[in-house]
Amino acid sequence: MLEVKDLVVSYGAVEAVRGVTLTAVPGAITAIVGANGAGKSSLLRAITGLAPVRAGQVLLDGQDVTRVPASKRAGLGLAHAMEGRRIFRHLSVEENLRLAWQFGRRRNQWGEALDRVFLTFPILKEKRRSQAGLLSGGQQQMLIVSAATICEPSYLLLDEPSLGLAPIVVREIYHFFTDRCRENGTTVLLAEQMAAMALNVSAHGYVLRQGQVVREGPSAELVNSGLIAALSSAYL
Amino acid sequence: MEDFLTLLLAGVSVGAVYGLIAIGLNLTFWTTKTMNFGQGSVMMLCAMLTATMVAGGWPQALSILVALAVIAVLMVFTETWTVRPALKIEGSMGWAVSTLGVGIVLQGLASLWFGSQALAFPDIIFTAIDNVVVFGVHVSLQYLAVLVLALALVVVFEALVRGTVWGQAMRAVSMDQDLAAVIGIPVRWIVLGSYIASGLLAGISGILVAQIGGTVDPAFGFELVIFGFVAAVLGGMGSTTGALAGGIAAGVLQQMVGGYISSAAQHGIAFALLILILVVRPQGFFGQREFVKV
Repeated sequence: MLEVKDLVVSYGAVEAVRGVTLTAVPGAITAIVGANGAGKSSLLRAITGLAPVRAGQVLLDGQDVTRVPASKRAGLGLAHAMEGRRIFRHLSVEENLRLAWQFGRRRNQWGEALDRVFLTFPILKEKRRSQAGLLSGGQQQMLIVSAATICEPSYLLLDEPSLGLAPIVVREIYHFFTDRCRENGTTVLLAEQMAAMALNVSAHGYVLRQGQVVREGPSAELVNSGLIAALSSAYL
Repeated sequence: MEDFLTLLLAGVSVGAVYGLIAIGLNLTFWTTKTMNFGQGSVMMLCAMLTATMVAGGWPQALSILVALAVIAVLMVFTETWTVRPALKIEGSMGWAVSTLGVGIVLQGLASLWFGSQALAFPDIIFTAIDNVVVFGVHVSLQYLAVLVLALALVVVFEALVRGTVWGQAMRAVSMDQDLAAVIGIPVRWIVLGSYIASGLLAGISGILVAQIGGTVDPAFGFELVIFGFVAAVLGGMGSTTGALAGGIAAGVLQQMVGGYISSAAQHGIAFALLILILVVRPQGFFGQREFVKV
């Protein structure tokens, strides 16, 4: 169970998240949609322990981890693919994967884990010795989601995995994590501006606006309620 | 000719030590974008403690180990109390003032404890007059030993950084601290470790230089850390090869100017060169311009 209770995140006087309560559907994808600046990234960063939490709680399997340092949360089975192509640019593809495997909660052998990544994304095998910073945007995103899932995490946070990518690559990335997470029973929180896509693959959805949940419900209902059209006209 | 070769060896071997100092400064610069401006006092303290203990009849090896252990504790204090609090505020340069402050306090305490007179530093392996004759030129064994030791430390350091998981983790922290934390790298320990390692490199450098110079006094480290800084900037901040090359360049230049022109001009010319190089090549010899791909 991944739960967030009355969470407040503030950077100085600016409150990015203002009292959000949510529960991620176990073993499925939960979408968090909203415009740029709605607080999606801050919410995810607070769950991993990067953003300053002023009030509220983050619970993993009922355990309060709000004060647990970010580097210890990986060991609890939490993984986070951050927005903005975060990757160790000067390390090679393989070194990036290796570090993620080495310091995560290891459940598999390194050789197997690596083979699995290379089987899914053959291009990463071809580029295994290249500096990660020299890959194309799509290849970097493949590396990022591969690194985030290499330890088969129990919880996966995905922040705008589609941002700035060609539609065909977006489809590939989405296929990858929906398949992989269904297989492993991973609980996913997916933050997206592209509401249609995120609601399409998720079981439940939350709509954030100015740091607060303004709507929530089963994704199918949110789609049918004309929310996407409303979001698109309001924000795009 | 013999003068020239002697100066060259002296320059290269002192320069290799400047390189070590620079690598120490680089280490913390990698992990936190900070460096210990009190590093000179760390070198001084390590050399002074060693000299005092040896003078008190302790075995040399034990004295050096104890001095290094004191330095390690001192670096834990420096990182925890002077650097970390300052880094809590985004963009704060408080660490520059606080680390410099610790350095000045240490220098003051050293004057109080040991007196401001220079202490004689013991001969560790060779004495100042031991030498071998190579192709008819007298080569000082002390300089040679310092050079070999400094180079060996650089090689070991580079092997640890490139070849071990912890070295890779340190490089990861230097590239993206948040991402490092997210994948489970204990960033806090890596930063602390970088400060300890930086202090140990400085302490060893202090001992090596004191060995060559023969004496230590409380103001001993000041000039050294400046040359270490020159080495780091010349080589390009963050590059290990660069730090070594920059250190050797600075050391040779210093010795040549001291030997052929005037020892009073050593510093002036070294800094003039630094300014010149920074004008022509701001990223240093080996520094890379950061590439940002959008």
